Amino acid sequence: MPMIEIQGLTKSYRVYQKPEGLWHSVRGLFRRQYRDVHAVRSIDLTVDEGEFVAFLGPNGAGKTTTLKLLSGVITPTEGTARVLGFTPWKRENDYRRRFALVMGQKNQLWWDLPAQESFRLHQQIYAIESSQFDRTLAELVDLLDVAELLGRPVRELSLGERMKMELIAALLHSPDVLFLDEPTIGLDVVAQHNIQSFLRYYQEKRRTTILLTSHYMKDVAALCKRVVIITGGEIMYDGSLAGIIDGFGGQKIVTLLFVDDNVPSDLSRFGEVFDVQPPKMRIRVQRSRVAEVMAAILATYALEDVSVEDPPLEDVIADVFNRASHDNGSGDSTQPNQSSFTARTR
Amino acid sequence: MMARVTTWWTILRICIEERLVYRADFALGTLMRFLPIVTQVFLWGAIFAANGDTRIAGKYDFSDMIAYYLLTMVGRAFSSMPGLASGISLDIREGTIKKYLTQPIDMVGFLLLNRMAHKLVYYSVAIGPFALVFWLCRGYFADGWPEPLVMLAFIATLIMGFLLGFFLEAAIGMIGFWFLEVSSLLFVYMLFNFFCSGHMFPIDILPEFARRIIELLLLPYLAYYPAAIFLGKVPLEEIPFRLSVQAGWLLFFIVFCYYMFHRGVKRYSGFGG
Amino acid sequence: MNGTRPSYLRVMLMFARNSLVRDMMFRTNFIIQSISSIGWVLMNLGFYLLIFQYTPMIGADTGWGKFEFFVFLATTLLVNSTVQAFFMPNANEFGELIRMGGLDFALLKPIDTQFLVSLRKIEWASLANFLFGIGLLLFSLAQLDSRPTFVGCLLYPVYVACGIAILYSLMITLASMSVWMGRNQTLYDFWFYITTFSRYPMEIYEGRFGTPLRYTFTFFIPVLVVINVPAALMAKPLDAQNWPLVFFALWATAASLAGSRWVFTRSLLSYRSASS
Repeated sequence: MPMIEIQGLTKSYRVYQKPEGLWHSVRGLFRRQYRDVHAVRSIDLTVDEGEFVAFLGPNGAGKTTTLKLLSGVITPTEGTARVLGFTPWKRENDYRRRFALVMGQKNQLWWDLPAQESFRLHQQIYAIESSQFDRTLAELVDLLDVAELLGRPVRELSLGERMKMELIAALLHSPDVLFLDEPTIGLDVVAQHNIQSFLRYYQEKRRTTILLTSHYMKDVAALCKRVVIITGGEIMYDGSLAGIIDGFGGQKIVTLLFVDDNVPSDLSRFGEVFDVQPPKMRIRVQRSRVAEVMAAILATYALEDVSVEDPPLEDVIADVFNRASHDNGSGDSTQPNQSSFTARTR
Repeated sequence: MMARVTTWWTILRICIEERLVYRADFALGTLMRFLPIVTQVFLWGAIFAANGDTRIAGKYDFSDMIAYYLLTMVGRAFSSMPGLASGISLDIREGTIKKYLTQPIDMVGFLLLNRMAHKLVYYSVAIGPFALVFWLCRGYFADGWPEPLVMLAFIATLIMGFLLGFFLEAAIGMIGFWFLEVSSLLFVYMLFNFFCSGHMFPIDILPEFARRIIELLLLPYLAYYPAAIFLGKVPLEEIPFRLSVQAGWLLFFIVFCYYMFHRGVKRYSGFGG
Repeated sequence: MNGTRPSYLRVMLMFARNSLVRDMMFRTNFIIQSISSIGWVLMNLGFYLLIFQYTPMIGADTGWGKFEFFVFLATTLLVNSTVQAFFMPNANEFGELIRMGGLDFALLKPIDTQFLVSLRKIEWASLANFLFGIGLLLFSLAQLDSRPTFVGCLLYPVYVACGIAILYSLMITLASMSVWMGRNQTLYDFWFYITTFSRYPMEIYEGRFGTPLRYTFTFFIPVLVVINVPAALMAKPLDAQNWPLVFFALWATAASLAGSRWVFTRSLLSYRSASS
């Protein structure tokens, strides 16, 4: 039985326009203008137990909305979802006891009190048995190395430390499903790394099903085997990280190291020359043409070294996002893309 | 000069637009303003019912009381500044005060214009219900309209009341430069304001010694004096004196407010914000 | 793994404890708040002392003489201070949260949302007024000619609790409505104005306008029942005329609580989480 099953989930809502100008403001007293925002458009998804899935997408893509739908915080316009067999937006207490949602930069702990006090409140609310609570807390505190910080008011902690406390609070009741919304946003590299290691270790050990949203590639690459790309409220891709490059990376990067600083200037017929630092030069070349281009260059010029690489993942994904926004801009697409990509990847 | 006026007009206009966005607020708010008066009317009705026909402190009968309360509504419409002091101290605490320091107009001036905008908009919508209520209650104004000179004094005291209320509360807000928590001080001010400004009851029904003390304070000028002047409870020869005292307090608080502002900014910049 | 319901009592105690710890962290503020709220009470008391210099009774033949009225005032203090301590800050915050989309954290917890949202924070400083109210009550009762009946004394706390429940229901209904009505200041004002009616003996609402008002605020929005019933139990001997009202008060309490629960639940359906 899959842990999470989503079918045709849709969320739209109405945003009222703020009028400009004195005249429109007065008119606004009598008649308001609005537009409809389609945050999530009929998505389908299935997640099995123990999976660690990343939702990747640009801002406003619908990642956070999806997580909120799955947490029951908001109700959908259409569609169904079942998590652990429950319908999230019914907000049944039995469901709420078994999952947790952590949102980056949003604080659920009492601001003025030490985190310790918020944890104890958590214990009461989730009715966690005393010895189990002590054990779980000790383990989490040890893993995240925050023992000295427990007694300090939350407002005195750094962003990274606060995030760790939020994670502890979320995991105290040993949830079966964990939703993480941009957990490392705004954190410095060290803090990000710490949290990533922790999540990886925790997930391996507990086999918790985790859904993570992020727009940091490092989070995704470090933690998840499965990536779901969401843009404009729709799923564009659902599969492995490597598959993205295969599916979307239409170009390769050829790095040429010439014998001297005399680099030729007429290589643009082979591809896009984008980085020239004599004696080095880098060209983007269409995949299908790589062999032919290599042969031509090697025949004509004297080279010290050559390498052919995949473009960085960030670039590929950024490209996907860009492409998607262009597609969405040109009228309502009815997802012609999704089927072709998901078919290739599983 | 022209540029200044344009700037001020723009700021006023933006503030007005901002106010109009919350429309449900408006509709209800104007209606709600009159509810406390209703209970006061009944209370005084009950007080006079047990009292017979005698005037309170020899000055006020039932009609007078009602008229008095209605007029203090007007006085308070001019002089009450909800959220001013707390807004200033919040801006200071959160650092958003920086934006004022770089704008073409000083913070105090900006806030004054903002308040004017707020009151203009609010009362241009509220003037309907106000006028209606006054018209319905015209029977309580036994003496009718006062003489033109007294009317002038009434208007003068209202306008000065607005400015006085503004600079007084702004000065309290400026304390936020020195102390984080202004809200307790503000509460104390509100307390005294409510009791001593005449909002709760006419100051002149107090026993002699209490009345003398409170009249020395500036607070009665925010609500009591406009109402008392209109109703003729202040003797004609006393009116110019009262107006000058009010003007004096106003001047003091304008200076004090700006002084606090400049000292506060200096201190604030010294701390790096 | 944890299949058990939380103990609402224990959670409540945690809320109380956490709020107390927090209030003690800001000790000066706590003290200033307590003092200023007592200052407020003293001013009101001063006002009524002034009034009673000019009249022996409020309302002709109503029975609300000076010390009877002070019993009424003391009851006002007991009810309002409790509402202010336990529910006011929470209701205000709830109104803001539901409007601004900040309720997510509450919706995630396996505990009744209304309970969580209504009792999270307790303003202990408001209880200074409660103590003052007890003092005023005892003092005034001692000055009265007629002593309250034994039944009256037993029922008094019950009806104070009913009054608190009615005010709470009104408060939470108004706060819930911010989700539809936008900025919440007007609702807060509305609350203030409506409860102003409850602060006076219902007998003052007489006459062409008074009587309909009295009926509206007794039977439609039962605020007049809040203070009048318990105060009358203590200060005025109960006659046959008043008993129906006493029974009605119980019914009004139940109806208010049920009604407010319904509005609360409906408001959650319209909740829109803030975009992030």
